[in-house]
Amino acid sequence: MSSRGPATATARRDGDSPLITRHAPIDRVFHWITALAVLLLLASAFLPIVGFKFSWVPLHWITGLVLTAAVVFHLVRASFFQRLRCIWIRVRDFGDASAGRRAAKYTLAQKLMHAAMGTAVLVVTVTGVIMLAKVDTPLWKRDPYLLETSTWGVVYVLHGAAALLILMLTMTHIYFSLLPEKRAYLRAMIGGQMTRTEAAQFHDPNRWSGERKDDPRENHK
Amino acid sequence: MEIFRITRNAWGQETLEGISWDLLPVAFGLGIAFIVGHLVWRALRRRRGSGKGGQSPSSL
Repeated sequence: MSSRGPATATARRDGDSPLITRHAPIDRVFHWITALAVLLLLASAFLPIVGFKFSWVPLHWITGLVLTAAVVFHLVRASFFQRLRCIWIRVRDFGDASAGRRAAKYTLAQKLMHAAMGTAVLVVTVTGVIMLAKVDTPLWKRDPYLLETSTWGVVYVLHGAAALLILMLTMTHIYFSLLPEKRAYLRAMIGGQMTRTEAAQFHDPNRWSGERKDDPRENHK
Repeated sequence: MEIFRITRNAWGQETLEGISWDLLPVAFGLGIAFIVGHLVWRALRRRRGSGKGGQSPSSL
C-alpha cells in the first residue's frame, strides 16, 4: 500500500480536496469499449492456439469491426476535438521525468504506453481490415485473391506480431492500473474524476488543472 | 524456436504463413517478467526510500 494512501483517503473523506475531471464520459466509454474489444480479440485469437477449441472466427471479425470503429472514432476525436499535443512525447518529458519534475496531464510512462499501444492497435486494425477479405460474412463474400500470396504473408506477420505486442502491453497496463499508488487513475477511468491531492502527486497543477480552460496552452502545444 | 510459420505450396515454393505461435509463450513470459521485475524494483525503491525517511513522488 502506498505511504500516501491513508492521507489521500482522509482528504477525500473530509472533502478538503476538490474533485477534478480527468476523463470525459465519451473518452471513458471509448476506453472501456476498446478494452473489452481487445480482450475478446486476444482471447479469440490465442485461446484456440493453446488448446481451447471453439468457433473463434465470427467472434474475432465482429469484435474486430467494433475495435476498428472505436479506433476511427478516437483518431477523429483526438485529432480535431482534443489537444493532441497533450499526449505527444517531447524531449522535455524525458528531462522532466529524470529530474523528478511532475508532468502535465500525462506522465512520460503514460505517453510511452499510449504510443506503443496505439501503434500496435493501428497495425493490427489496418492488417485486420485487409484480412477481412478472406472471411465470408453476411456483409461480403471472401476474396482470397485480393493480394499476392507473399503479400498476404507479410500482412499475417504484421498482424501476429502486433497482437503479441498488444498481449504484453495489456498485461502491463492492467498491472499498473491495479497498483495501489496508481489506483486513482483507475478510478478516474471509471468515474472520470480524481482529487486534486491525488493529481498533484504526479501532475503539476500549474500545467494540468483538470479544467481545460484554466490550463496554460503552451503546456499542450 | 521458429520466428515465422512457413509452408510449401504444391510447387514446392516456400510461402510465408505468419508469425510463429512458438512466440506466444515468449510474449506472455516477457509480460510476466516485466511485471515481476517492476515489483522487485518497486520494493527495493520503497525499502531504500523508507530508509531515507520518505519518498519523492517520482520514486513511486
